[in-house]
Amino acid sequence: MAASGKKHVRNTACVIPGGFTVLSLQFSPDSPAQHSVFVKEHKVRAERSSGRPLDRTLFVLNVPPYCSREVVRELFSIFGNVSSVELRDHPGSSEGSEPKLSRFFRPAEKQGFKVGYIVFEKSASVAAAKSHPRHVPLVVSTDQRPVKTGVQKWIQQYSQSFIPPDKLQQSVDAFMQDYDKRKEEEEERQRNEAEKQKDDEEGWVKVTRGHKGTKARPHSEAANHRALQREMRKKRRKELMNFYTWQHRNTQKEHIAELRKKFEEDKQRIALMRAQRKFRPY
Amino acid sequence: LTTCETSKSENHEEEEADRSKRIRSEEEKEVVVYHPVKLSRNDLYRPPTAEELNQLKEAESLFHCSLLKMQMEELLKEVVLSEHRKQQIDSFIQTVTKLIQTVPKTPKVEVNDMSWLSGAVKVPFLLLPKTTKGKFCMAPPASVDLIGSYALGTCIKPHIRVDMAVTLPAEVLQPKDFLNQRYPRKRALYLAGLAQHLQSSSEVVTLRFSCLHGNRLRPILLLTPSGKDSSSFTVGVHACLPPGYFKPSRFHPKRNNIRTEWYTGLKTSNPGKSSEPPTPHYNNSILGDLLPRSHLQFLSAVSSKCSAFADGVALLKVWLHQRQLDQGAGCFNGFLASMLLAYLLISHRISSTMTAYQLLRNSLNFIASTDLTVSGISLAKNPDPTAPSLADFHDAFQVVFVDPSGHLNMCADVTACTYKQLQHEASVSMHFWDDPSVDGFHCLLMTPKPMIRTSDHVFQLCDLVKLQSSCKKQNLLCELMDHSGDYIHTALPFILSLLQRGLGQRIHLLAHSLTPSPVWSVESEAPKYKTQPPLSFGLLLNPEISAAVLERGPPADSSKVPEFRQLWGPRSELRRFQDGAITEAVLWEGKSMYQKRLVPKQIITHLLQLHADIPESSVRFVGALVDDVVPSTGEEESLVVVQSYDDLSRKLWKLEGLPLSITAVQGAHPALRYTQVFPPEPLVLDHSFFDRDKISRSLVPKDVKPCPQYITPITVICHMEGSGKWPHDRLAIRHIRAAFHISLAELLKKDHNYTCRPCPTHLDVWKNGLAFRIQVAYHREPQVLRERVTAEGLLVVRDNEEAQALEMATIHKPLLTSMLHGLQQQHPCFGAVCRLAKRWLAAQLFSDEITEDAADLLVASLFLQPAPFTAPGSPQVGFLRFLHLLSSFDWRNNPLVVNLNNQLTAADYTEIKNDFMASRDSLPVMFLATPKDKKLSLWTRRAPSIQMLQRVMMVAAESLKVLECQLMDGSQMQDVRVVMRPPLEAYDVLIHLNPNQVPLLGQAVDPPAVTFNRGVVPNGAPQSGGPLPVIDYNPVTLYLMELREAFGDLALFFCDPYGGTVISVLWKPKTFVSAPFKTSQITARTVEVMGEEVKTIPNFGAILEDFRVLGKGLVKSVEAKTEKWAF
Repeated sequence: MAASGKKHVRNTACVIPGGFTVLSLQFSPDSPAQHSVFVKEHKVRAERSSGRPLDRTLFVLNVPPYCSREVVRELFSIFGNVSSVELRDHPGSSEGSEPKLSRFFRPAEKQGFKVGYIVFEKSASVAAAKSHPRHVPLVVSTDQRPVKTGVQKWIQQYSQSFIPPDKLQQSVDAFMQDYDKRKEEEEERQRNEAEKQKDDEEGWVKVTRGHKGTKARPHSEAANHRALQREMRKKRRKELMNFYTWQHRNTQKEHIAELRKKFEEDKQRIALMRAQRKFRPY
Repeated sequence: LTTCETSKSENHEEEEADRSKRIRSEEEKEVVVYHPVKLSRNDLYRPPTAEELNQLKEAESLFHCSLLKMQMEELLKEVVLSEHRKQQIDSFIQTVTKLIQTVPKTPKVEVNDMSWLSGAVKVPFLLLPKTTKGKFCMAPPASVDLIGSYALGTCIKPHIRVDMAVTLPAEVLQPKDFLNQRYPRKRALYLAGLAQHLQSSSEVVTLRFSCLHGNRLRPILLLTPSGKDSSSFTVGVHACLPPGYFKPSRFHPKRNNIRTEWYTGLKTSNPGKSSEPPTPHYNNSILGDLLPRSHLQFLSAVSSKCSAFADGVALLKVWLHQRQLDQGAGCFNGFLASMLLAYLLISHRISSTMTAYQLLRNSLNFIASTDLTVSGISLAKNPDPTAPSLADFHDAFQVVFVDPSGHLNMCADVTACTYKQLQHEASVSMHFWDDPSVDGFHCLLMTPKPMIRTSDHVFQLCDLVKLQSSCKKQNLLCELMDHSGDYIHTALPFILSLLQRGLGQRIHLLAHSLTPSPVWSVESEAPKYKTQPPLSFGLLLNPEISAAVLERGPPADSSKVPEFRQLWGPRSELRRFQDGAITEAVLWEGKSMYQKRLVPKQIITHLLQLHADIPESSVRFVGALVDDVVPSTGEEESLVVVQSYDDLSRKLWKLEGLPLSITAVQGAHPALRYTQVFPPEPLVLDHSFFDRDKISRSLVPKDVKPCPQYITPITVICHMEGSGKWPHDRLAIRHIRAAFHISLAELLKKDHNYTCRPCPTHLDVWKNGLAFRIQVAYHREPQVLRERVTAEGLLVVRDNEEAQALEMATIHKPLLTSMLHGLQQQHPCFGAVCRLAKRWLAAQLFSDEITEDAADLLVASLFLQPAPFTAPGSPQVGFLRFLHLLSSFDWRNNPLVVNLNNQLTAADYTEIKNDFMASRDSLPVMFLATPKDKKLSLWTRRAPSIQMLQRVMMVAAESLKVLECQLMDGSQMQDVRVVMRPPLEAYDVLIHLNPNQVPLLGQAVDPPAVTFNRGVVPNGAPQSGGPLPVIDYNPVTLYLMELREAFGDLALFFCDPYGGTVISVLWKPKTFVSAPFKTSQITARTVEVMGEEVKTIPNFGAILEDFRVLGKGLVKSVEAKTEKWAF
């Protein structure tokens, strides 16, 4: 099939301004309508990720929800051997370094239209995909490799959602061991740092306030805020209210201004209600 | 005709749907928006003038705020007649007066001879008996004057009625005319003569007859001007006696003026005058014609002394009108309102310098605290010795309020029940007026209180003719004579007291509708009594007692037994009780809560049948017509769930061997607060219907069979003790929770043999045919989720979605559940109202816009702040008020405060309101504040959107209208489910589903005839243990979720979660806009290349194909209404 695709390369590949090639994709051989999938070679200036080699990665837009990674791999293997497929909700750089999670704890994936990064084994495959004609659609589900959707898929999902408790326990234990180890390492590192502070080579001890290793000042935003508030309160307590005549007069003035403001507000509210015909009792 | 009616209403809804769509597509709306006031410094701080200072101080001290004062002033402006209108009226009156004065003379004839009238005008009088004595002729009136509210200046909009008194000339009258309806008939003849004369003039177009406050003895002639102001006002012409023509003492309530012999046509054996029964109502109706002018003089004298008199009367009239007390037979009309104010002024209960606001307040206070049924009041200063005493009046009438002359009881037709209703309304009003948390003005004067929305139960007497036989059965001939054959108002007081006795403590109040005065054209005969609309009665229930099935009477040896037996008839029987007492008792039927709520109905039909000869078929009980839309045994089913949950929670507490102890077990599911529309039922499953999962020993649905029965997981939150052992890391906490789920599962299996399925996020427990979903929670987890360490090592706390969702699930939902559970304990019908409300929301496809929790809160607000009503006492009235709240609340400018457990103070209310006003635009469109959530409106943060809220409001208003019409009018087609069938014409695509894959099919509004086997053994005894059933598997929800995830940007998807077999799709307006090519906005689109430009358009064909592909097996067909699509 790859060979036949190549035959039509020059005259029929549909390339739109912006450099994307439009490929057609349909669910089954007899589907009446087709989706448009847009492909382009992956080209990003500042990408240093090893997962997406620039010359061998194909960037795919508008991958329909029923195309899982396996299906995409199958679909694009007509252009050459695929080494990896990454599907994401939005285009962007690859994930950060979260600790590796077992499949039970990974958050559920969104089942929408996706963008894909397909890494081929050979860079020629990218070019092949880019020159695939529009009128020869890619077919998702064929008799040889049917793709389950609808009720069948939901039943499958349901039966896959069972996790044997012992396996779940194992993965929890594995994670917690790993977590404890990480935590210990972290503590070790901190202790070492504290040690370092304690006495350097020449026997001098650096003097700090409080216990060893801890900071004198609580190092959090909330604590900072509290400290600031305390200062303000202290300041306010020292102030004298209504002591001088002018202060007294000011308070009275403020009161009248307050009443006036309320009056004006009410007036406006009334005007608003009148505009909405709120006073027609019936 | 009825089908035409419904189709009209559907059409209407459809139109509205279109309109909402239009609004949505236009995106621009005319909204007057409130902006916070900005006054310049100069304006605020300029020195005040004395006058301004006074004004400000007054507003501060007299009113809650100046707002109420200004609102009242605005209201008065709305109802007072304009100068222009007054001129119109005056000129019309002048012409009419001239015309009336030129009425030609006719020769004297016998009263019974009506041949002088041309056939075009009929006498507005029911001639019963046929003849009476006396001579009559037409002659120009002695005088024509204005009387009543227009002359006094207290006339208000709407229904402007100008009253004119036409004084009969002396030659028409004879000295003995007070006897045997002679004068009333002459009065009617005179009006007919006037009508005949006026008919020939071109000035007056419509002439109709009516009668004064439904009293057929006192007909009036209604004149409506021609041309464009035909509907703006009516002039009522009353025929009156010359002042002092009869001696008022003749009309003493103890005297007789209708002879039995004449009335019955039978010769009585002893024609002695002493045996004749008194005719107080007849006397009163003639006396009323002697006095209108002196009343007017009296009132104008009073009103000239008090500047705010007219305004006070106007406010009182609006108040009465909103409560439907000011019109019809036996009403408390505007005239009585002015007289009441006059009484208060004269007796110095109010001072003449008070404002209208204070007048209203004081008069309501007076009404609430004075019972005119036992201690009447009189306006007569020094009554002449012939005038009857108050005691005489009390003997003859139920309510007593004597006029300045001392002879007339102005409240003669008011029944005791109406007065009690008035008192009840006044005291309710006084109660909420002082409550700062209530919008007093709105509740007091702006909210209409129709009976169907006010009373908990309403029933109607349809065949009014049946009342004739009640009169006969109760031997009410004398009273019938007194009422001149008006059997309705003769029987009414008797029926009311009968019901009051029978219902006793079960009701707080028994109200009845006031029969509207009939209006008929001059060419037709006066309508018969039986043509009047049905009498409606409203009950305000006492929720604790009203549903009791047992009526316990006096002990067997008591002297009260005969009385009890007489009241209840054969239903009363001797019973022995557990405490050893042997008493008379009546037992009513009632197994479920639904049936128990109908005990008042049983009592009413029984009593009416027994004592008033009214068959059950003529009693139309509308107290529970809506209730059967949701399953009637819901309360009992919820109770089973709650008991099962209580058992589980006890068992959880007792578990031993957990590394940390459990600190709290909380339910977080509507079924645990009695508000689940279809509460989960314990099930027994047919295992052969399912596949088996070998490893986990669980049942799995088969794809060739219909979708199995849906099993709702009931969420239970299990809080674990805080401890230093909990890690301080979000992922680690998640793993520890999973570990807890596993060990809980092991323990529950070991100790109680429950089938469990632990998952990382929850633990499913299969217990006695119910599925519980336990989630372990750690109270510091949301905090941990919010904490983050910045690059500089500073610990910052930032709110995020994940933390909010977790808090919602583990803190807010359980709390709400327990609070609403408490509310259900106080108000037994709370749960039922919630279920009705949510059924309606779901059926109208709004259940994703207004979530279950938000709907429950809305309903809770009806119970917590019912003003101006009282807390709903039946599901139906609660549902009607829910619709009213949805449709009439001003969401744009007001927060809805739900004061759960009464935790909010007045200061909190102000704070909520101010915070709301300050940041209105950034807050949810539907803002619900609760004690635990004053600023954010957690429950409505995600939805509804402004467009959807508008649609909800519109549909609610329409549903309310249709429903109320149907409930109050028995002649219409009776199908309350009309309001549950949404119009589907407005949508762009309809996805029809395979009924066999819709597990909740049986819950549909109109359940289909076919049912499918869903793997349930009927009538089995539920057991624990065995393989785990299929829990929370619903293809429809899964499909909807996939659709929304894939196409949520392009379209909205609606579906009734309770057995809906259609998913309605509405494209978002921006879908149709062709956009330039952008990698982030290319979802399900295709491209069109035009030269160098690339446009993207939605790939509709592929999308529709995807609808089919994604729902394979579930989707039956996809119906695209392409003609609606706006490209």
